[in-house]
Amino acid sequence: MTPNQPPLTSHEYDGIQEYDNPTPGWWHAIFVGSVLFSAVYFVFWDHSDLSWSIHDTWKKAQVAEYKRIFGKMGDLKPDQATILSMMGKPDMMAIAQSTFTLNCAQCHAKDGGGINGVNLTDDHYKNVKTIEDLYKTITNGANNGAMPSWKSAFSDNERVLLAAYVASLRGTKPASPKAPEGEQIPPWPKAQ
Amino acid sequence: MSAADSRSLSAASRHDLPADPHAARGLMEEFVYDDAIVRKFVLASLVFGVVAFLVGLIVALELVIPSAMQWTVAGVRPFGWLSFLTNTWFLSFGRLRPLHTNAAIFAFAGNAVFAAVYYSTQRLCKARLFSDTLSNLHFWGWQAIIVAAAITLPLGITQGKEYAELEWPIDLAIAVVWVGFFGVNFFGTLARRRERHMYVALWFYIATIVTVALLHVFNSLAIPVTLGKSYSVYAGVQDAFMQWWYGHNAVAFFLTTPFLGLMYYFLPKAAERPVYSYRLSIVHFWSLVFIYIWAGPHHLHYTALPSWASSLGMLFSLMLWMPSWGGMINGLLTLRGAWSKVAADPILKFFVVGITFYGMSTFEGPMLSIKSVNSLSHYTDWTIAHVHAGALGWNGFMTFGMVYWLLPRLFQTELWSRKLMSAHFWLGTIGILLYVIPIYAAGITQGLMWRAFDEAGRLQYPDFVETVMRLMPMYWIRVLGGTMFLVGGILCLYNAIMTWMARPAVYAEPIQRAPALSTTFVEDAPPASLLSTNPQFAQAVDSKILQGWFHRIWEGRPLRFTVWTFIAVVVASLFEMIPTFLIRSNVPSIASVQPYTPLELAGREIYIAEGCYNCHSQMIRPIWAETKRYGEYSKPGEFVYDHPFQWGSRRIGPDLAREGGRQSHDWHVRHLENPRQLIPQSIMPAYTHLLKDDLDMPGIQKRVDAMAMLGVPYGEAVKPGKAEEMAREQSNKIAADLVAQGGYPNLENKKVIALVAYLQRLGTDISKPAPASAVATAGGN
Repeated sequence: MTPNQPPLTSHEYDGIQEYDNPTPGWWHAIFVGSVLFSAVYFVFWDHSDLSWSIHDTWKKAQVAEYKRIFGKMGDLKPDQATILSMMGKPDMMAIAQSTFTLNCAQCHAKDGGGINGVNLTDDHYKNVKTIEDLYKTITNGANNGAMPSWKSAFSDNERVLLAAYVASLRGTKPASPKAPEGEQIPPWPKAQ
Repeated sequence: MSAADSRSLSAASRHDLPADPHAARGLMEEFVYDDAIVRKFVLASLVFGVVAFLVGLIVALELVIPSAMQWTVAGVRPFGWLSFLTNTWFLSFGRLRPLHTNAAIFAFAGNAVFAAVYYSTQRLCKARLFSDTLSNLHFWGWQAIIVAAAITLPLGITQGKEYAELEWPIDLAIAVVWVGFFGVNFFGTLARRRERHMYVALWFYIATIVTVALLHVFNSLAIPVTLGKSYSVYAGVQDAFMQWWYGHNAVAFFLTTPFLGLMYYFLPKAAERPVYSYRLSIVHFWSLVFIYIWAGPHHLHYTALPSWASSLGMLFSLMLWMPSWGGMINGLLTLRGAWSKVAADPILKFFVVGITFYGMSTFEGPMLSIKSVNSLSHYTDWTIAHVHAGALGWNGFMTFGMVYWLLPRLFQTELWSRKLMSAHFWLGTIGILLYVIPIYAAGITQGLMWRAFDEAGRLQYPDFVETVMRLMPMYWIRVLGGTMFLVGGILCLYNAIMTWMARPAVYAEPIQRAPALSTTFVEDAPPASLLSTNPQFAQAVDSKILQGWFHRIWEGRPLRFTVWTFIAVVVASLFEMIPTFLIRSNVPSIASVQPYTPLELAGREIYIAEGCYNCHSQMIRPIWAETKRYGEYSKPGEFVYDHPFQWGSRRIGPDLAREGGRQSHDWHVRHLENPRQLIPQSIMPAYTHLLKDDLDMPGIQKRVDAMAMLGVPYGEAVKPGKAEEMAREQSNKIAADLVAQGGYPNLENKKVIALVAYLQRLGTDISKPAPASAVATAGGN
């Protein structure tokens, strides 16, 4: 027992006693601090015009992204010339590749070789005669929904880029290609 | 064993318990404590503890074996035989994980709480438990509930709300056992006490009993459809709010307050030291009880929950830090001057490690509730690590410390093996560390991978399964840590059984003597004010309130104490509930969002029964990396027909909120049949049985009718037979499309079609035009 033993309370329960120690000062300080902080936070973030919401932050990111990607070129047309020219832009193809990996690879494989969906690397196509048909198939889907429609998931520009990316897969060598399906079609035209 | 406790070993002697100096002496009374009921609860806790840890180990294994199954060593697959865990329908992760959590919380920790309450309350009240019949009804009723849970959960009978999965008949039984048996028995004992004032442990027990009853009843309100199926009366955002009000406070009032009560009794007993501070007990008890209740919405940051509720959840969590630490300080500082004992006594070591984990978890909790931290941690293993630090460290070790202290006293013989107890302590401690450290790392790793962008602004890990594969080494270490914790639990059970075997032929039942409380008791006068100045009002405040005199009065009046606890909890709850339910702008309606078709509703039931929500969220947060990966963020109005909500709390697989239309029917059927035929690295179980089992088509009508009772505008689908007709029409259409897509034939009556219908609907309404009939249908019937 130390000489400056704190006083005991008079309580005793089944042999358990209690000291009458004061609550620690730092304990009070942090507790009161957290209450004050909370009051200020709540007024600022939820009851003032100066604050911004998580949705505002998201919107800003969205605007910045669209500006960065499509800012210079405006709306892309889903025609042969545009798709062919996009195929020649490595930065645009990189963006489309990401979209493809996220959304298409589960059926068509990351390298386009096909799993449940068709092989996109060979010269045979089921619903495509011309390069614009790639855009149409992505937009509207095909084969009774085996290929879903992506109209509501992606903007027009994104679907044009995606069509260009899929066109660029033709002729590449996937790891495990699925057998060709559909009919053989002539090569894509040359870009002007 | 100390001298003070050896009294319980001598049967013949009579003990005059020291009389309460605050009680005018009534007649001397003789009584005997009921330790038989405590023995039962202790053994039940240990047995179910081992079961809970074992099921935990199995579900941990289920996450690693799909990849381990494919390893080949010299042409042999050493883990191949474990494939039954991923394709036996009642053993899938989604069905066993709720069994694990329910067993750990309600069977292991629950039985430990009852043992602690019944042992300590009798002694703190100097009274035998109110009714032996109620004690036994409580014990056997609770064990029957546990057995019912162990049977129904693997069968997929579930409400689909975390830690509240049990279906309505079991829910009713829980309410009866908790309130009717446990509550009445406890408060009856308080009423018959021979000690005027209630010790702090009893305050915590009161808060536990009152609040858990409230949480359980109001979160579980549901409309029954069949004996094994009901629909939550709440939907979407409101259901989410109620669920996490419940879920968070189950942690607060089932895993925290009763264990603080346990600590306040058993720690000073084991250490033979006075409690550090009575005043801290008062301040931290009331602040804890009042503040904890508000913090639930921190489980729903960045979701469709309104922002004000999210802010309150975060702020009250921050304010909760010190009230929680009050308990830790009072525990650890009680050991001041007794640290040499801690070094020698494994029981105190269990308590010290337990309280330390409590301190760590209650610092981490407020930190995780900060919105920006939560945006990283939520849906990852960080949460899993956090709860296991609390459950294994705090609940587990406090239970084991108590059990080892109780065993020689309950079985009236020496503990069978102190060596084994010591081995358990070290196995358990290292086991916890090997569990939580890699899982923290896993959580942070995956959280960062989900949000990582490359310089071109693309997601760096677009392939979800890649972020799962990265965790496999850490999951293996968890298996090791979990195994050690399980082995420790088995050692404890073994030690308990061996101690029980060495019990005396007849237990000594020493007769206690204490005077009854007098009815003509006069309370102490308030102390003199320390303020020398006027006014009198200030002096009165000082002497009656600031110096704690009023609280001493309450401590002598259990009814008043209980009423104030009830008020603290209810008022805090209503502050959040009333706006959540009454303010329309919290859930702006979306005209194009329509009820699920009868077939989709049946599919949703399969989704819930399989426990898909244990691995898949349905909530895309307004975070750029997230909308990039999953599509447009989720809106509150999208969930108005979701009874119950299925937002989930962990993404072991990807979010499914916008899964509809992203894959063909054929892809879904093949993926459900065996995910690894499409995604070789997938760790999802195979659901082959869904392609074989028939869907209960005639049963769909009842379900639609129940939904209509809850206000879901089902229009003419409630006409007898109409729902089934609609369901058959839609399933025939999907089955035909499936064949046209090159998929399997003859599935139109199978469960898989309903599930595919549901999955194909998810998140699609928002991009559809509002139906012209929307207004008319909503007003119909």
